[in-house]
Amino acid sequence: MTIQVLDVCKRFGTYDALSGVNLEIKPGELVALLGPSGSGKTTLLRVIAGLEKPDSGRILFNDEDTTETRVQEREVGFVFQHYALFRHMSIFENVAFGLRVRPRAVRPSEKEINRRVHDLLKLVQIDWLSDRYPHQLSGGQRQRIALARALAIEPKVLLLDEPFGALDAKVRKELRRWLRRLHDEINLTSVFVTHDQEEALEVADRVVVVNNGKIEQVGTPDEVYDHPATPFVYQFLGNVNLFEGRVHNGVADVGGGRILTPEHHGVADTAATAYVRPHDIDIASAAGSDMVEATLNHATRIGSVVRLELSRKDNGALVEVELSRERFEHLNVIAGNLVYFKPRRARVFLAANQDSSAA
Amino acid sequence: MAGVLTSPNLPLHPPVRKSAPGRRAIPWVPIVLITIALLYLALFLFVPLAAVFYEALRKGATVYWAAISEPDAISAIKLTFIAALIAVPLNLVFGVAAAWAIAKFDFRGKSLLITLIDLPFSVSPVISGLIYVLIFGLQGWLGPWLSEHDVKIIFAVPGIVLATIFVTFPFVARELIPLMQAQGREEEEAAAVLGASGWQTLWYVTLPNVKWGLLYGVILCNARAMGEFGAVSVVSGHIRGETNTLPLHVEILYNEYQFAAAFACASLLALLAVITLVIKTVVEIRYEQREKEFRT
Amino acid sequence: MTTGIFTRPHSVLPGFNMALGFTIFYLSLIVLIPLSAAFIKTFTLTWEAFWTTVTAPRVLASYWLTLRTSLLAALINAVFGLLVAWVLVRYKFPGKRVIDALVDLPFALPTAVAGIALTAVYATNGWLGKPLAEMGVKVAFTPLGILVALTFIGLPFVVRTVQPVLEDLEKEMEEAAQSLGASQWQTFQRVIFPTVLPAVVTGFTLAFARALGEYGSVIFIAGNMPMVSEITPLIIITKLEQYDYAGATAVAVVMLVASFLLLLAINTLQWWSRKQRAQESV
Repeated sequence: MTIQVLDVCKRFGTYDALSGVNLEIKPGELVALLGPSGSGKTTLLRVIAGLEKPDSGRILFNDEDTTETRVQEREVGFVFQHYALFRHMSIFENVAFGLRVRPRAVRPSEKEINRRVHDLLKLVQIDWLSDRYPHQLSGGQRQRIALARALAIEPKVLLLDEPFGALDAKVRKELRRWLRRLHDEINLTSVFVTHDQEEALEVADRVVVVNNGKIEQVGTPDEVYDHPATPFVYQFLGNVNLFEGRVHNGVADVGGGRILTPEHHGVADTAATAYVRPHDIDIASAAGSDMVEATLNHATRIGSVVRLELSRKDNGALVEVELSRERFEHLNVIAGNLVYFKPRRARVFLAANQDSSAA
Repeated sequence: MAGVLTSPNLPLHPPVRKSAPGRRAIPWVPIVLITIALLYLALFLFVPLAAVFYEALRKGATVYWAAISEPDAISAIKLTFIAALIAVPLNLVFGVAAAWAIAKFDFRGKSLLITLIDLPFSVSPVISGLIYVLIFGLQGWLGPWLSEHDVKIIFAVPGIVLATIFVTFPFVARELIPLMQAQGREEEEAAAVLGASGWQTLWYVTLPNVKWGLLYGVILCNARAMGEFGAVSVVSGHIRGETNTLPLHVEILYNEYQFAAAFACASLLALLAVITLVIKTVVEIRYEQREKEFRT
Repeated sequence: MTTGIFTRPHSVLPGFNMALGFTIFYLSLIVLIPLSAAFIKTFTLTWEAFWTTVTAPRVLASYWLTLRTSLLAALINAVFGLLVAWVLVRYKFPGKRVIDALVDLPFALPTAVAGIALTAVYATNGWLGKPLAEMGVKVAFTPLGILVALTFIGLPFVVRTVQPVLEDLEKEMEEAAQSLGASQWQTFQRVIFPTVLPAVVTGFTLAFARALGEYGSVIFIAGNMPMVSEITPLIIITKLEQYDYAGATAVAVVMLVASFLLLLAINTLQWWSRKQRAQESV
């Protein structure tokens, strides 16, 4: 099912949760709404579900205007962050609930309900717990039940609000992959909200980066990571070093080094900032052209990479560099030594850009 | 012998404090405190309660039985039950409605509403009866209209029922409101997304979650409804055999110096009170058990 | 879509209008309209008539009696209620569960039963009245009897407001104080008492408010002598029996205004107490 969000605005008191949001979700996609707390991503999800009404704008399901449709009639599956399982009902009854409350005319027979519930429980691999109660299950199991319950009503779209937020790291990773496989199996249009960029990049077909009630960028995980459209996206997805400087005619001068920025070739002498990933920095123990001098503060080994913290000689600013163990050993430096670095790749944003996207 | 290592002003050993009782010392503080507490409770609770039963049975079982089975006593018991049977369900429905509106929605004036619901608690029972006399009494607002149509409210059963409803008004609501507020709205939202109507959500999701609080509110409401004295006294007219509830009957017997009979009837009410407390304790234990299970 | 002073809620759950509508309807019918009858009736009196009625010497004496006995009873309950709550929360002893349940007896027992029971016990030939009389203390049919009855009636309030606060008190706070060298008394005085104080004050105010309006448990043990042992609710009843509806209502209005002010104070206290507990659970 296609979902279209058209110019949606939503206020809570004096606070603008959503300002003119436009989005299209294609059938069968698994989309992540990614952003920091308070960015409006959960509000957007709830507006799509019908749990909140937008102040202005429209929601279309398959080109039909559903803005005024009640949540009971939208046929969406919603998985809450804290599961919201019915605590006094067994697992079986929880999953069967959506089928049991249907008006008599469309309600399936008890036998049919039984079959469907067990099929779903098997799908989420919890059939053996169907007589237990929610408080007897672990967090990961509860989350899967919440999912089964949402799927029981055969929804047209599946919406998940920070589905793995309340779980510990290892369970989260497992469930993430499990969700992706499940989606590949059932191919239901799905939207999930997360503040964890690793999760969004790993699981989603497309990522929608949200900040301050607005959409910053929509794209595949590769697109948003490698070609971030705004400084916010760049900073939110992965670590970043900032270099202040000026751009003139396609060349950025950022404190000792020069970077070619063909996308700004028409620009005349404007303040700008270069955004550089830690692993996009070349580093050497001897000076070279366009290289910046710095002192090595400390080097930390994390698994197979080494993270270096440098202090620039000219302004004392801290720079983070990431390189493989091999290269670091080849570098042969210790804390206190002088090193020289140069960004290999950078994304340069002009000062005007930054103002409009600054958090 | 301290030499250069210790300052002359520092004691060689830190002061020993007479702190918490050690393993072998007698725990004086708890014993004294418990004794005083029990004495206080005995003076004001245990002794009077025991006195009711003692005085009731003092003149023997025959006198006791006669007192509680004579016709006026029986009709007093009946009236007490009727008043409770009407007041409690009405206030139960109100309590659920009020708690639903207050706990599951946001609106301005919510705290004003909660304060207004608490009003009957802060009003003296005598005044609770007085205000109904002011409306339905012969000289009241509706007095003339009522006597025209030969409808008796004050000094008749309906007045007693009304006064009872008033004094027990907040009980169920006060129990349910904080409970439902603490439970939040997520389960109800989940039910809505799954397609449940309002009644289905209330019946299948909300009420089962508050059943212990509901029961608690109902038994307290009932205890008060059956035991109300001041308010009912004002509206009843004290007509023997007709407009006396059991507490009023006790008063009449007492004022006529029929002490054994008065205490006999009083003992029924005291028994009701004890049963109420027992049920209340059972409900609390079950509730605690359930909460403990959920702390996983 | 507005409903009077209430505005449309932000929730998708159904049933708001029906629930709120019924709530307000029932509330008005049973509580608000009858209560307003008292005020409206009072307006039929001229100000002078009203003032004379509510400041008659006998009435004034009853205010003073009601006020001081209620205050004293609430104070006694505050002190001993704290003690009882402490004992119930902190110590284990046989029969604790039963005693804990019995603390609610004044809530469950009809006031008339309490009245005659207390009178029987504290009369000069009663179980406790006899030894007290031998010591020269007469309880029944004196203001002291009123005090006893009001203490009974207010007993559960402080205990029940303090218990949850004591139960939620973190053991670590006390352990920290002790590790820093505080004695048991100092720990109580500086750490525990300030935490339970709001609950004690709330309980005190609740007991006080309840005592002010109390009727059933008091009139049997009180003696009911005008100017000496006559409580204000009894004055209202006496006026009613004499068909002086306006006079009864006038006195009732004075009591109502006092109760409303107290109710406001109680709600504010409870809100303050809850806020404090929320802050402390960080």
